[in-house]
Amino acid sequence: MSYQIIVCGSLVPDPLQTLEPVTGPQGPALKNEMMLPSWLDPWAGHALYEAARLAGQHAGSKVWLVSLGPKAKLQQVMMTVAQKVPFELVALDGSAGGFTDASETAAALAEAILAIPGLDLTKLLLFGGWESASRGAGATLQIVGERLGITDQFQGVDSLTLEADGSLRILERVEGGKHQVSVCSAPPAVLGWATGSLPEPRNNPQVGMANMRGIMPALQKAKPSPVSTGDITFTSVTLPTQTRTTQVIKDASPEQIAADIVAWIKGG
Amino acid sequence: MSILFLAHTEPDGTLAKSALESLAATVQLAQSLGTPFTVGLIGETPGPAADAIATCGAQKFLTVSGPEFSQARYATDAAAAEALCRAAAATLVTAPATSRWNRVLPGLAHRLGGRADTHVTGVGVSNGQPCVSRWFYRQRMEAVFTRSTRPWILALEGGIAAPWQGAAGTAHPDAVAVTLAAPRTQVTGFEAPAADQQTIRPDAELLFVTGAGWTKKQADGEVKVAEAETLIREFLRLSRSSLGSTKSLVDLGGEGQSVLPFLSHLNQIGQTGSTPRHAKGLSTCCHGEEPHTVGWRFIGERRAISLDANCGWARGKADILYVADAFAVMAKVNALLAP
Amino acid sequence: MSLVADTAPDAMDRPRMDADIVCVGFGPAAGGFLTKLAAAAFHPDGSPALESPSMPGLPLQVMCYERADDIGFGVSGVVTRAKSLRESFPGLDPDQIPMAAAVTGEKIIYLLDPVGVSRRSFVLRAADKVIRALGGVFGLRHDAIALPWIPPFLNKHGGLVLSMGQFTQWVGSQVMATGAVQIWPGSPVREAIIENQAVTGVRLLDQGVGKDGSPAEGFMPGMEVRAPLTVVADGPVGAIGQQLDLHFGVPEGHHLHDWALGMKFVVDLPDDCQWEPGTVLHTLGFPEPEIFGFLYVHPGRVASMGIFIPSWFDSPVRTAYRYLQHWMMHPYLWRHLKGGRLRSWGAKTLQESGRRGEPLLTGDGFARIGEGSGSTNVLTNSGVDEAWATGVQLADAVIGLIQAGQPFTRENLDATYVKRRRESWVGAEGRVAEKARDGFQRGVVTGLFGTMLAGLTKGVLSMPGRPGAPHTRVPTFENYYAGRISKEDLARIRKDCDTKGIAASGVLMDRVGWPEIPFDGELLVSHQDALLMGGKVQAPAGYGDHVGFLYPEECESCESKICVEMCSGQAITPSENGRPIFDREKCIHCGACLWNCAKAHPHHPEHALVGFQAGAGGLHSAEN
Repeated sequence: MSYQIIVCGSLVPDPLQTLEPVTGPQGPALKNEMMLPSWLDPWAGHALYEAARLAGQHAGSKVWLVSLGPKAKLQQVMMTVAQKVPFELVALDGSAGGFTDASETAAALAEAILAIPGLDLTKLLLFGGWESASRGAGATLQIVGERLGITDQFQGVDSLTLEADGSLRILERVEGGKHQVSVCSAPPAVLGWATGSLPEPRNNPQVGMANMRGIMPALQKAKPSPVSTGDITFTSVTLPTQTRTTQVIKDASPEQIAADIVAWIKGG
Repeated sequence: MSILFLAHTEPDGTLAKSALESLAATVQLAQSLGTPFTVGLIGETPGPAADAIATCGAQKFLTVSGPEFSQARYATDAAAAEALCRAAAATLVTAPATSRWNRVLPGLAHRLGGRADTHVTGVGVSNGQPCVSRWFYRQRMEAVFTRSTRPWILALEGGIAAPWQGAAGTAHPDAVAVTLAAPRTQVTGFEAPAADQQTIRPDAELLFVTGAGWTKKQADGEVKVAEAETLIREFLRLSRSSLGSTKSLVDLGGEGQSVLPFLSHLNQIGQTGSTPRHAKGLSTCCHGEEPHTVGWRFIGERRAISLDANCGWARGKADILYVADAFAVMAKVNALLAP
Repeated sequence: MSLVADTAPDAMDRPRMDADIVCVGFGPAAGGFLTKLAAAAFHPDGSPALESPSMPGLPLQVMCYERADDIGFGVSGVVTRAKSLRESFPGLDPDQIPMAAAVTGEKIIYLLDPVGVSRRSFVLRAADKVIRALGGVFGLRHDAIALPWIPPFLNKHGGLVLSMGQFTQWVGSQVMATGAVQIWPGSPVREAIIENQAVTGVRLLDQGVGKDGSPAEGFMPGMEVRAPLTVVADGPVGAIGQQLDLHFGVPEGHHLHDWALGMKFVVDLPDDCQWEPGTVLHTLGFPEPEIFGFLYVHPGRVASMGIFIPSWFDSPVRTAYRYLQHWMMHPYLWRHLKGGRLRSWGAKTLQESGRRGEPLLTGDGFARIGEGSGSTNVLTNSGVDEAWATGVQLADAVIGLIQAGQPFTRENLDATYVKRRRESWVGAEGRVAEKARDGFQRGVVTGLFGTMLAGLTKGVLSMPGRPGAPHTRVPTFENYYAGRISKEDLARIRKDCDTKGIAASGVLMDRVGWPEIPFDGELLVSHQDALLMGGKVQAPAGYGDHVGFLYPEECESCESKICVEMCSGQAITPSENGRPIFDREKCIHCGACLWNCAKAHPHHPEHALVGFQAGAGGLHSAEN
């Protein structure tokens, strides 16, 4: 059986950068948002790599990456992502900021997905990260699924096995360091990925070259998708101000430190 | 305005601590808004759970019950929640941010023409309207906001309030009927490490965080992964603490380097990992991994062991920084904890 | 031939691709080259204007490989006259480029020593005394005086303050949007393919290898990219530049001695800071007389600032990080900076030989542009504009050769590219600057005088001086600290630091009286913490160590271990057996270890004992 795997995912600022909120006319945003180094959202990245692995195992399968972000930044990020695994890009030109409303982003993504030529729901696996490193909501993918009429949805997925009978065996993260095991009889299904188990693929220039043939045209025809904060009124967006007074204990012996720690652990 | 509090029962038919916390927050919110609220429960037999919170002040109890609702499954949970929301004509819906509700609520909001907000860490009232706070950009900044669209559905994070406590009673719930198509998904079970191998303990008092330093060359130029493993396992066994790890340490496994075999991405905190809640946190060998500190956002008392006194990772974030060799200290800690 | 042993087997299944032009590195030189080339690649109607010579019928196939994780990472912040940039972008509006500002004010500040530790010569001490005694006359305030006049050759009036990271990203995005060029970040080029004394393409770095470069799990041999023209724009530490220098030699009389290190902070200025965007400060005199400082104010209350450790600063403690903190804390600067916050930082090697560091600019199948091609002007302290210009000059030449159906032979490239370069302002000003810094070989004051002399006489006169290779000039600790720290104490400090695996420079600076840095976690942070500011240093898995010690037994007897002392990321540490240890996860690819090694290579005396190959990762910040 072949699959159509559509991965929703966009760029996020490098989480190791210093991020600071500012308020603009469109509501809150990140200071210097366009200057911060960006990369593919890490969870969406896991979803993409899993998609590529599955597509590679099932002849005739194909992977799309549907990405809503500022065109110039998308282009830049794609030069790295495109070297990793084969996919076809569907680009939407709009804000990838964390303060945009998930339902607006979902509406734009669903519209773009429905416009993909040859879309076949009976083969569709809709992938994405279970949340983004920007909005961090874990909401967009479910709404895209609803808009496509898919009610078999899974979040926090760490493993998907495509069984010979066409069913999907799925492991989702649940409370307490456990995985819930589900079997879905057939596509379509929505899978929001946690980290999965694949390492980041190596940069492969040949994959990059092949992808690039489609990526530049996709970027050129990227449709403006003016997503916003929707009906949200932000009262405040602040960085945590609380700085703890750190007591540095330098010259204590391991015995003394251990005693201190044990007393602390046991002390209520 | 009408509020609906949604909860699902656990496999044993009770409500989890997170549900009782969210209930307490909802009771408080309803009082602040001067609005009555309804409780909607989903489960195989949610009656006893409703009775357990019968005195919470809810105006009404609604339940969706049946064997198909014993499983955490999108299709059935979404249908049940939709039916409850419509029956309660709710404009504001609260629910604990469990994996089960997080899976469903955004899609539910779409069905109802409303909006959902997840990972809500605080609810309040401003100008007579509810407002919420939640974190953006991986716990780096906190926003307070409100929405105009109704229904507005909120997934409330654990720890949002002290768990509701009150006398049990008789709830007299109204059953809400749900028409279901045959589900295409079956939950077949759970996978978890053996009880003695489980290192993630959400209810533990202490979160023990290991950094990549445990697998690096130590002062004598040697890598001591086996020793590190013994020390950490022994500490976990003795202290019953939960084990967290930095991203770089769990990532090392994927790169074929020496790592602690019992660590997986499930242990990871910060970045693409979790942001757990514990009363105390002790970090070890994490120097150079300052950004991971966001994983500590919801840890109460924090201590760190690092070899570098100037470690910016600890400064301003930990209460106490011990400048010492974690191998030596943890060996002594284990000796003291041993019965 | 490489200075580092080739441990990867010659993979039979090495993938291969063909292109017309392969460009190594994406900095300002490649930016100029590709901007010009891309503009000529298509007609206005979108049809190809330049046909692929190697694949007739297709448009010109141009590939550019950049080693860093993204384009614009790990480069620097500058003030530039922007002469060639404005030629490429007529009507350039700085507002289009993030962090760019037109120069609004420029000052040269002489900083006196407020802490009394700076190693000043007798002449400087006397001058300082006079300045302090007659403070009012000189306008002495905050332990500094502003020089009344900026020599015309240093003046950047009408120029731009740029973040090179943001500028190169801006350029890269424009170039890629044309569709004429592909720029691939995260793709280090391992070596040029040399066949029959011609460069016929490049090999990318192998992936899935161990620390030593030998195949490991998931081994993926680096692809061969064959092209009639390889454009070498890989800067001062580029692997391909080094390889070509070693293989083809450098022109008679030219050398590779003089490499300075620039280290820079990008700082969020405090709210009450009065500096306007476009403000440019150059400083001299402190923390050591040999160390120069610079500060450029960007829009949005952000400034780039740093110091320049010149090749002729004969100290075994050429550590930039701590000196940079002392420099920032000079009262003249600190009153503006206190309360600021460190956003990011970086360091890079700067070519300081000017024209005399010019390698062979061309050969059959290759051409060199930018800083690694000796384009930096050592009189005007300008490199970006010149690098960009050499890229444009090469593009002009390449376009002409393609249109004429001529091959990329040395002869043809010399007759077009090199000729243009020589006849251009880059060539003319480079000749003026050639000896401008020679006087510094004999001291700071002589050097400054020599620079003025060369600048004002258009290079006719200069102070003589003969630059020597680092290994001939780096003094031992004993010599440098003679009379200040006893021999026994030095030995004890060295041993102690070796045991702890830390550089000795911090201890030595403490010892001679440099005040402790009061870390505040905001602007003044520990060196290790700086590695986390503005994007953690990256070291993607699957790559080998790009820095290696070729003769570790020689390192054991190296007293100064300047590779350790100077390492910008504390990535090289000493050990008890005397052999330095390299940690790839901290390396920001500045190249200080390569160009400052205190020992000569036994077979190639112009080279060091440090091997510096192509490598992935490094700084993850595009603000530099």
